[in-house]
Amino acid sequence: MREILPVPSPGLDLRHHYGHHQSPAIRAGGLIFCSGMVAVNPETGEREHGTLTSEARRIFENLKLLLESAGSSLDRLVQVHAMIYDRIEYDVLNRLYRQYVPNAPPARTVMSVQIEAGFKVMLDVIAAA
Amino acid sequence: MALQRDVIAPKDPAVDMSPNLNLPLSPAIQAGEFIFVSGMVAIDATGERMHGTVAAETRQILAAMARVLELAGSSLAKAVKVNVLIYSMLEYNNMNEVYREFFPVDPPARTVCGAKLCGGSKVEIECVALA
Repeated sequence: MREILPVPSPGLDLRHHYGHHQSPAIRAGGLIFCSGMVAVNPETGEREHGTLTSEARRIFENLKLLLESAGSSLDRLVQVHAMIYDRIEYDVLNRLYRQYVPNAPPARTVMSVQIEAGFKVMLDVIAAA
Repeated sequence: MALQRDVIAPKDPAVDMSPNLNLPLSPAIQAGEFIFVSGMVAIDATGERMHGTVAAETRQILAAMARVLELAGSSLAKAVKVNVLIYSMLEYNNMNEVYREFFPVDPPARTVCGAKLCGGSKVEIECVALA
């Protein structure tokens, strides 16, 4: 059983806004697989470039919306791939990150890569449904 | 009860790069309801690396990935998550245009990022699919 989750807010559909050929999130086998998320306005889909902290905050807020609309939550994250544009921002990411997953944080891998459209951070997660 | 874990190793050099490139990996592993496919790069019918444009490499990889999944009783239509690594995000659209041909309806969740790849490949793709 493979189910495409509807987006709780129109701005989160990057396929619609930017032609990225992907579904925002898919539920399968008791897990929710999310596409890599970047900082966009949840209503309009407009890109919100900023500092790594402001981008990561926006992503977590959008992720919260998405997971909660599917009956999951940030507490149910299983694995996170945190992609950042430069390793030098690692501590900056951690400071914001721990605010959103204060207890029993998920498994995580951080890597420094090129992210679409000049964003500084992207989160790619799997959560328990 | 322990989850069953099965190695999916087709005896076809065109879809299993591990013998020719001498890599310590299985092409795919089935565990429970899921099949986890290793990161695949473009290889030709003999298992040698195939270097081409981002579009050509993407096409070669997704065709091989479809075969790996089909040999395991799954298919691209059952993919739930795909991770695409490309050597430069400037090539995003060149990948995306070929990619969409392979997932005509209800595409899987996906993450694309620009990374330094091994062996001169321009594209590498991995996925998780339902068995």
